[in-house]
Amino acid sequence: MDKTTSILKLKEIQASTNACVTIIENDEKTHEGLLSNIPVALKDNVITKGILTTGGSKLLSNYIPPYSATIVHKIKQAGGVIVAKTSLDELGMGGTGTASFNGIVRNPHDLTRQAGGSSSGSAVVVAAKAVDYAIGSDTGDSVRKPASFVGVVGTKPTYGRISRYGIIPYASSLDHVGYFTSNVTQAALMCDVLSGVDPLDQTTLPVCPTNTLETLNDNVSGKVFGIFEDVVNAVNDEETLKNFEAVCNALVKKGAILKSISMDEDLLRACLPTYYIIANCEATANHSNLTGVNFGLTQDGEDVEDIMTKTRTVGFGPLIRKRFVIGSYGLKDENQEKLFRQAQKVRRVVVDEFTKMLNECDGLIAPATSSCAPLLEGANTNVLSNTHLIAENYMVISNFSGTPSITIPSLPVKGLPNGINITCKVEDEATMFKLALAVESCVKELL
Amino acid sequence: MKRDVVIGIEIHCELKTESKMFSGSKNTINDIPNIHVNEIDLGHPGVLPTLNQKAVELALRACVLTHCKIDPLLKFDRKNYYYSDLPKGFQITQQFHPVGKDGYLDIVVEGETKHVRLDRIHMEEDTAKQYHIDEHTFIDYNRAGVPLIEIVSKPDMSSALEAKEYVSTLRNLLIFADVTDGKMEEGSMRCDINISLKEAGSDAFGTKVEIKNLNSLNNIDKAIEAEIKRQNDLLDSGEVVLMQTRRYDENLKTTVAMRSKESAVDYRYFPEPNIRPILLDASFIEHVSKNLPWTPSQWFDYLTNLGANDIEANILINNKTLLDFGARVLKDVKDSRLGLNWIISELNSYMNTLGEKLFETLSAHDFALFLNLISDKVISGKQAKDVLKWMIESGKNAQTLVEEHDLKVVSDDTSLLGWIDEAIKENPQSVVDFKQGKDRAVGFIVGQVMKKSKGQADPAQCNALVRQRFLEQ
Repeated sequence: MDKTTSILKLKEIQASTNACVTIIENDEKTHEGLLSNIPVALKDNVITKGILTTGGSKLLSNYIPPYSATIVHKIKQAGGVIVAKTSLDELGMGGTGTASFNGIVRNPHDLTRQAGGSSSGSAVVVAAKAVDYAIGSDTGDSVRKPASFVGVVGTKPTYGRISRYGIIPYASSLDHVGYFTSNVTQAALMCDVLSGVDPLDQTTLPVCPTNTLETLNDNVSGKVFGIFEDVVNAVNDEETLKNFEAVCNALVKKGAILKSISMDEDLLRACLPTYYIIANCEATANHSNLTGVNFGLTQDGEDVEDIMTKTRTVGFGPLIRKRFVIGSYGLKDENQEKLFRQAQKVRRVVVDEFTKMLNECDGLIAPATSSCAPLLEGANTNVLSNTHLIAENYMVISNFSGTPSITIPSLPVKGLPNGINITCKVEDEATMFKLALAVESCVKELL
Repeated sequence: MKRDVVIGIEIHCELKTESKMFSGSKNTINDIPNIHVNEIDLGHPGVLPTLNQKAVELALRACVLTHCKIDPLLKFDRKNYYYSDLPKGFQITQQFHPVGKDGYLDIVVEGETKHVRLDRIHMEEDTAKQYHIDEHTFIDYNRAGVPLIEIVSKPDMSSALEAKEYVSTLRNLLIFADVTDGKMEEGSMRCDINISLKEAGSDAFGTKVEIKNLNSLNNIDKAIEAEIKRQNDLLDSGEVVLMQTRRYDENLKTTVAMRSKESAVDYRYFPEPNIRPILLDASFIEHVSKNLPWTPSQWFDYLTNLGANDIEANILINNKTLLDFGARVLKDVKDSRLGLNWIISELNSYMNTLGEKLFETLSAHDFALFLNLISDKVISGKQAKDVLKWMIESGKNAQTLVEEHDLKVVSDDTSLLGWIDEAIKENPQSVVDFKQGKDRAVGFIVGQVMKKSKGQADPAQCNALVRQRFLEQ
């Protein structure tokens, strides 16, 4: 796909989907490489020097950064052309695509439905075939869930595989750079482009960039797929289950071995609340720089404190303010032990259990979401059900553990996209792409 | 009532690194405001910290010098608060796992050794510097992110004198170890003093008052004396000491309340997620502790071995710039006693008038070669004073100047006796004077010879020859 076609398509879908914050028409190829002349979209929390970067927040709606994220340099060095900054839930918080300062993002397959979030716009531009590559970020499942809802491949490599320098954070210990592609081969290519140690991010893995594309194949003969049994049990949608079974059977025909693996149910149900505490606590500190003193939509005030208070009151949406209150509460001296520290302990226990599960197989597989994308209006969620706590949100475990995780489009549910997720051991992206490629070819055969 | 004074001290010390604690910006506070600043120092969205290895090394030096137990697993934490001098909205510090713990420092007060225990040494980053002018506030981010260590003592001191000696001893140790430049007036070393009074001999502590940001050794002394008096007066009149943060007002000569400490701030400390815990190699720690620059007492021994007396050695130890320069000079001179004389007298007085500008034109190497010209008797001491003046004025080396000014020392007997005989002939009275026991006649003739030789005659040699001639007459 060339830049002109990409920009035309981006403009065409903007009115219906609201996928972009900024469409960039003047970027040119500067280097030759794996992405030569290929258009790439960036989630609008990726810092771009001289180009508006809002993080989906009104507070940053005038923010032109003085530097670029490490991954922007990597994309440019690989020959890529930046064509858009895409919509996101404010500061990456929210999973629906409805919490951005610039309005709701809609699912291109059905405009009455969510695209998922928080990397909503990046998911949509790949689904609408405006680009083949779009960068997102994934703190809970912010790439892998929208990928499932719009029917594209959504990848989140190992924590530390891709530099986070220049990504507006949500929760540092859970944040990953992820991305959307049209297929698994492109996903492997993008991992090779973006990965590598970064002296500006001390949490990057001290290893060379991956080289997954060269050896990529879908030979899964003898490979053990661990069926994440608790997730499958928590799915109510018959069509989702039927599709999942069909794909699993097709994998067996390719020589794969299926093995049922499960985790303690109470522990699984604790994952989402644990996530909320850790994420909100880290987020409240991470965003303490957004005061209007140096940058952002500064409001006038009597003194510095007044300027900060007014800037933050005007600049943040209601969901963000609620999360900051929860985060501050969780970090307070008298609460920290029983909330934040306790959540970190639970996270550790979950990760230990999850590691044991991964040691029993080559990769864990399960439906990425329990069904197709929910309606924007009238969606009714029982937040204490296993469907919500487990089937809809189990993918957060990979943010706890930093394990590489990928969502691949499965067979449609109600005629709409729905994905399958595969998670592998830390640093084993090569196996993850292999298993994902096999799933991709099984789905193709079944369609 | 007799009361005991209890004093504990917290010292913030800026580290002498090239770059900042967590960013590549230059670490310097004396420059045009806001030029050593990048997106990290300004707390822009998306930035991440990168730990400065040199800062870790300097913090380790401080730990070794103060006998602290070093925690080889480095961990950092966030201290959260909103203020305009803190662009990220949090400060990265080491709340839960300080790099050093449970050390001590022995100080000497009035001839007695006093053992002061240290609670901890931790690393953190400095805030931006704020200037309040009229109703405006100006922020200089050059200081934002400058590496700091905080050294916290136990409440082991009991007088202003001890407190002052503790700060002074620690400051000298750290300056000599190149950990900090220790310039208290410029804020690169800042002291907070915790002070309380209790009934003499009692175990129960009184209410603690913190005096913030003392910026000289003298002010530490004065502030503590004033605060002891204030607390004593309050307690004598039956009033209570409030838990407060105070500052020392130099004009009022007393401490003034800044804020009440009753409403303690909750900084919501939690582990910094963007810096993974770093396990320091045992060999790295060993390398640092085995390669410390000399301490003041090591310098004292070195200088006295070279022939300096105690006073001379202390003059140099209290002037680190002169000592560093002098040390380089002394390595190259043939006569170290001569070297010490010139460093302590001439060079010291030039430094008093010119400051560090002196070293812009004068290098240690040139100065050593200059001294060797004196000890080789190429130039006389009198000529040398002129040569040094010219060296400092022009930046030229001594050899060049000796040639330009055609300077030399004439010490061969034939030339000298020629001048001497001429001078005696012109001044016959001198012989009479000498014979009458007036020794100044020798000096007079030597002076005449110096004139005749345009300062080139070797005075010592000349002196001996004049004496010999007088005796022969």
